[in-house]
Amino acid sequence: MTQALSSVDPSSALVDPDERRGGTGTARFVLTKVAEALASIVLVVVLFFFLFRMLPGDPVNFMIRDRPTDPRMIAELREKLGVDKPMLRQFVDYIGGLLHGDMGQSYIERRPVLDMIGERLWPTVLLVGSATLLAVALGLWLGVRAAWRRGSGFDRVQTGIALTLWSVPQFWLGLLLLVGTNGLFPSRGMHSPDAAPDFFSQGLDVLHHLVLPCVTLMVVFYAQYMLVMRSSLLGEMNADYLTTARAKGLRDDLVRRKHAVPNALLPTVTLVFMQFGMVVSGAVSVEAVFSWPGLGQLVYEALHGPDLPVLQGVFVVLASAVVLMNLVAELLYRVLDPRVRTA
Amino acid sequence: MVELRTLRSSGGRRGSRAVALLAAAMLLAGPFAVPAQAQQGKTLRVALITGIDHLNPFTATLAAATQVGRFVYEFLTLPSARDTQPTGGIAEKWVPSPDKLTWTFTIRSGMKWSDGQPVTAKDAAFTFNRMLTDENARTANGSYVSNFASVSAPDDKTLVIKNKVPQANMLSLDVPIVPEHIWAPIKDLNDPKTDDMSVVGVGDGPYLLTEYKKNEYVKFKANKDYWRGAPKVDELQLLQFKDAEAAVNALKQGEVDVINRLTPTQFNALKSEPNIATNTAPGRRYNELIMNFGVQNNANQPIGDGNPLLKDIRIRKAILQSIDTKTVVDKVMSGYGQVGGGTIPAIYAVNHWEPTGADKVNFDAAAANTALDQDGYAKGQDGIRVGPGGAKLQFRLTGHSSRPFDQRTAQYIEGWLKDVGIGVKQDLVSDDELNDRTTAGNYDLAISGFATNPDPDSALSLNVCAGRPNAQGKGGTTATFFCDPQYEELYKQQLSEFDAAKRSEIAKQAQARLASQAVDVVLDYDNVLEAYRSDKFSSFTKQPQPDGVILEQSGYWGVYGATPAGASADSAAAGSSDSGGNTGLWIGIGAVVLVVLAGGGFFLARRGKTSDDRE
Amino acid sequence: MTTPEKASPRAIAWQRRRASMGKVWQEFATNKGGLIGLGFLALAVVLALLAPLISDESGLDVTKAAGQPLSPPNGDFLLGTDIDGRSILLMTFWGARISLLVGFSAAILSVLIGTVIGVTAAHFGGWVSTVLLRFTDFFLVLPSLVLAIALSAVLPQGVWTVIFAIGVTAWPTTARLVRAQTLTIEGRPYIERSKALGGGHLHLIGKHVLPGVAPLVLANTTLVVGNSIIADATLAFLGVGNPAAVSWGTMLETALNNGAVTRGAWWNLLPPGIAIVLIVLAFTLVGRALETVLNPRLKGGH
Repeated sequence: MTQALSSVDPSSALVDPDERRGGTGTARFVLTKVAEALASIVLVVVLFFFLFRMLPGDPVNFMIRDRPTDPRMIAELREKLGVDKPMLRQFVDYIGGLLHGDMGQSYIERRPVLDMIGERLWPTVLLVGSATLLAVALGLWLGVRAAWRRGSGFDRVQTGIALTLWSVPQFWLGLLLLVGTNGLFPSRGMHSPDAAPDFFSQGLDVLHHLVLPCVTLMVVFYAQYMLVMRSSLLGEMNADYLTTARAKGLRDDLVRRKHAVPNALLPTVTLVFMQFGMVVSGAVSVEAVFSWPGLGQLVYEALHGPDLPVLQGVFVVLASAVVLMNLVAELLYRVLDPRVRTA
Repeated sequence: MVELRTLRSSGGRRGSRAVALLAAAMLLAGPFAVPAQAQQGKTLRVALITGIDHLNPFTATLAAATQVGRFVYEFLTLPSARDTQPTGGIAEKWVPSPDKLTWTFTIRSGMKWSDGQPVTAKDAAFTFNRMLTDENARTANGSYVSNFASVSAPDDKTLVIKNKVPQANMLSLDVPIVPEHIWAPIKDLNDPKTDDMSVVGVGDGPYLLTEYKKNEYVKFKANKDYWRGAPKVDELQLLQFKDAEAAVNALKQGEVDVINRLTPTQFNALKSEPNIATNTAPGRRYNELIMNFGVQNNANQPIGDGNPLLKDIRIRKAILQSIDTKTVVDKVMSGYGQVGGGTIPAIYAVNHWEPTGADKVNFDAAAANTALDQDGYAKGQDGIRVGPGGAKLQFRLTGHSSRPFDQRTAQYIEGWLKDVGIGVKQDLVSDDELNDRTTAGNYDLAISGFATNPDPDSALSLNVCAGRPNAQGKGGTTATFFCDPQYEELYKQQLSEFDAAKRSEIAKQAQARLASQAVDVVLDYDNVLEAYRSDKFSSFTKQPQPDGVILEQSGYWGVYGATPAGASADSAAAGSSDSGGNTGLWIGIGAVVLVVLAGGGFFLARRGKTSDDRE
Repeated sequence: MTTPEKASPRAIAWQRRRASMGKVWQEFATNKGGLIGLGFLALAVVLALLAPLISDESGLDVTKAAGQPLSPPNGDFLLGTDIDGRSILLMTFWGARISLLVGFSAAILSVLIGTVIGVTAAHFGGWVSTVLLRFTDFFLVLPSLVLAIALSAVLPQGVWTVIFAIGVTAWPTTARLVRAQTLTIEGRPYIERSKALGGGHLHLIGKHVLPGVAPLVLANTTLVVGNSIIADATLAFLGVGNPAAVSWGTMLETALNNGAVTRGAWWNLLPPGIAIVLIVLAFTLVGRALETVLNPRLKGGH
C-alpha cells in the first residue's frame, strides 16, 4: 500500500548492473538467490518475534478477562504458555517449534496457530489470486491499447480513470460498493449456509461471495500494471526493429501483436510477482470490510487483543510468501530476459 | 526503459481475453446465484459479532462459543426466563443439607440424548468429575468446580455434590452436562476432533448441532424430542460477522433475523426500517471513570505512576462536578442508558442507590472552577491550572481503544475538564494493555466498566480491600483500588444479612460511602440494544420478562422461544423482500455497468482497431 | 545568456542550476495533469495552514458541538454533522491538517532514510554496499502495510507513531532509485576529475551527488506522500491509528464504528473519502509529471 505508483520499469530493481556484467553461472545464481530468500525469511521470523515481545500487556490477564478464575488456573495457564520464561529461552522454544511446524497457541482461541492459519489460507489465496489475475488481464489489455493509441482520448481517459482508482483507499471503495450494490451480492463471508451441498452450487455460491471483494481489490491494483505496460510498450515502439518491421510492409496490428507486445510483457510479468506484497496488504483491509474468512481478517481480529502468537504467525507467513514471490520474480526474469541469460 | 530485443510470440493476449471472460462470468453469476431463501420463518438466523473458538463445551471460552453449549446441552438448573430465579433443567428437584455443604439433585426421568440413550445422574457426575480430574476440562468453566470436594451418582436419578465451603451459585452452575457414553472414551479434550459432529452432535438441549464452517457459521436443527417441547423453528444458524455494522447490513438485506450489540445510531436507524422490530432492555453493566487517588496493593504499598495531585480529594470532587453524565447518556448513548448513580445498575432497583440531596453532585463547571480557584490551583497562562508546588493539573486519560464508547466519551471528558482548567491527554490502548496499566496503577484517569449480577455482592465486591492485587501485582479484581474501613464494615454486614430489605439498605449505604470518596464517576448504565426481522418472527422469549433481552441471556430462552410470524405475514414479507431485491438488483446492475465502463472502453478500442486494420 | 565576465564558480553553478530549473518548469508546465494537481495541492496546503485563522477550532470540541447528531446537509451545516453534532465541513477542513502532516512527515522520513542508504550504498561500494543492498532488499519485499500495522500495534498510539510506522516501511523503493541515480552520476567524467583533485567524500556527495539526485528524490517524495495518506487512513480503519486526532481516517472510522452507514449518513462517509482521493490523485499527478520530466529513463516514452 505504501509503495509508490511509478511508471519506472520495476525490473530495474531486480537486475543489478554488476550482475549483468559479471555473467555468473545459472546454477550459482539460483543457489545465491535461494539462499538470500531463506536468509530473508529467517530475518522476518527474528524481526517479528522481538517486535511483538515489545508489546505491553500480560496475555494471561487477557485470557481470563471477564471470567471467574482461581489462582491455580492462572498458574496452569502461565506454565502452558511459557510466558514466565526468559525472552531468549522463549525465542529458542519458538524457533524449535517452528522447525516442527508449531507456531504456538492462540491466546484468544486457545488453538494451534498453524491450524488457524491453515483454515484461512485458502480463502486468501482465492481472493488474492483471482484479483491479481483480473488486474493483470485488465491492466495489460488497457495498457496495450493506451500505448498504441497514445495521446488519444482513449489513452487520456483510461489513464485518468486508472490514476483516480489508484488513489482510492481500498476499504472505502469496498464500503461504497457494499452500500451501492445494496444486497445484490452477499455482504459477508464466502459461503451461505443455505446453498445446496452439491459441488456446482457450492462453487457458484463462493463465486457470488467473491465478486465484491475481488472487484474492490482488482480495481485499485490494475493501474500499476496498465501504466507499466503502457510505458514499456511505448519504449518498444520507438525501437529500431519495429521501424524495420514496418518498413518491410508488415501491418501495424501484426507488428504490435507479434513483436512489440511480447517484449513489453516482461517487465509487467515480473511486476506481478514483485507487487504481490502490495496485493497482500490490500487484502488485509478488503477482507476486513467483507468479513472474508482469510488471513487478512485473522489479522484484524487478532489486533483486538492483541493475540500475539496469531499476529506473529500470520505476519511470518505473509512476509515469507512475499519473499518467495520475489524469488520467483528474480528467477523468472533470469529465464525470460535474454541479456541476462546469454551474458 | 530497459531495452529488449527478442521476438517471441506469446499466448498472453489470448490468455488475457480468457481472464476477461471469466471476470464477466463472475459478474454475471451474481444475480443468478442468489441463494434460495430458506423456507420463510422456519429458519432462525442469528448474527454473531464475536468469534467461536471451540464447539467442545469444555474448551469453548469465547462468549459466542459458550452460547453454542447452552443451546445443545441442558443444564442441571438454570436462571428462569421470567425473573432469573433458578429453575429446573436436568434436575427437577434439589435440596441443600442444613450446613449448605451437600447438595442433592433429583434428575428428571424420561429425558433422552439425541442418539436415544437416557440422560441420567451418571452423565452429570461424569461431567463434573472430569472437570475435577482433567485440567483441560476446566478450561472454560473451571471456576464453578474449584470448591467441589466430591461428586457422585448413587443411582440414575440422584446426584450428590459435596462442597468444601458453602457455595452461593450452586443453582446457577453454568456448566453444560455432556453424555458420558460419548465423552468418556475421549482422552485428550484439546483434540480438534472434539469439535466434530460425531462428538458435539449428540445433545439434549433445544437445538442439535449439524454443521460447523469455521469462522463462518454454525448450523443447528431443532431437537424434536426436547423435554420442554420442540422449538417452533426447524433450524437455527449462527452467522459470523466482522462487526455490528456488517450484521446490520445483513439484517436489512434479510440475510439474518436477529442481531444484538447495536450502537445507538444503528438502533435508531433500524427503528424506522420496515419489517424490523427493535428491542431495548436495561443493561446490567455500568461504565465509570476511575481516578488514581494514590492506589496501593494488598499489602498497602503504594504502586503505579499516578499523578500525585489526584490524591487531593478536592481535585477529584471538582472533576466529578465537571463531568456531565446526562450528556454522556444523551449524546454518546443517544439516550439508551440511565444516568449513573451507585455501582449497582438501575435495573436492580432494589439495591440501586440514587444520590439525593447533599449527596447529589450536579454538573456545574462554574462551581468547579470557583472551588479550584479557592483551593489554590490558579490558572496558568495556557489555561491549565497549577498546583502550589508548580505542578500542572495535567492528567492522562486511558481506556479501550477499540470501544466506540471509550473513544467518544474520552473526547467529552477532555472538553469538560479543559473548561475547568484541567489538561487531559488521551491515551487509549488495547484491552490487554489497559488491563495491565490499571492493575499496576499506571494511570491517572481511566474509562472502565463492569457487568454485574442480581446479587448485590457482585457489584459491591469490586471495591473491597481484598480485591486489590498482591505484592506481585497479581490476583486483582478491584475496580478502583478502593479500600475504606467504613465500606468494608458495610460490605461484611450485607453478606451476613438475610433480611432482603435490610440488606438492600446496607448495600445502598455502601454505594453512598464509595461515592463520597470521589474515587470514581459512574457515568451511565448502558441499555442492551437488539433488533429482529418482524416479518419473519413475531416474538421471542425475553429474560427477564417483560422487558428483558433476547440474545446473551443466562440460558437458551430467547432462541428456544422464537415464534415465526404467521402465514399471512409470510407472504407479505416475501413480497416486500422481492421488491427490495429488485431495487437492489437495479442499483447493482448500475454499479456493474459502471465498473465495466471504467475498466472497458471495449467497443471504443474495438472500433479503433478495425479502423487501424483498414488503413 | 548573459554571463558576467568574472563570475565565481559558485555563481556559475547557481546560474546553470537556475536555468535547468527553468527548463524543468517549462516541461512540467506542458503536462496539464501535473499543473492541475499542483494547483490543487497548493490550494489545499494554503487552506490547511490558514485553518486556524479562517475557522473556529472550538467547533471540533464535542462538548461545544452546535448541531444535532447526524443531521443531513442544511443551511447551517453545508455537509451535515457527525455523530456528536459537529460540522463535517469543518472536520474535513481541519482533517486536512493531520492528513497532510502525516503524509508529508512520513514521506520526508522515508525519503530521508532512502536517500541516505541509497547514496551511501552507491558511493562507498564494497561490503558497505552489499550489506545495505541486502538490507534494502529485505525491506523491499516485506509487505509494508503489514509491517506498519505491527509497528502501530506495538508503539503507543499517536500521530507520530503513525508517521514513524509509515516512514520506516516505505523507504526501500527510494533507496533503490537513489542508488541507481547516484551510480549514474558518479560515473560521469567530472566526478572522476573531482576525485583526482582530492575532493573528500563529503565534498563529492554534497556538491555533486546530492544536487544530482535531488530532482528524482523530489518526484519520488511526491508519490510517497499520496501513499502515506492512504496508509494513514487504512491504519485508522483497522483501529491502530490515532483516535484522538481529527483526521480523515478517524472520521471514517468513527462513522463506521457508530453506525453512520446504517443510518444512511452518506455525508459522513463521502467527504473524507473524496478528500483523500482528490489529494492523493493530486500528489500522484504531480509526481508522475515530475518523473516524466526528470527521469532520463522515461524521456521519449511520452
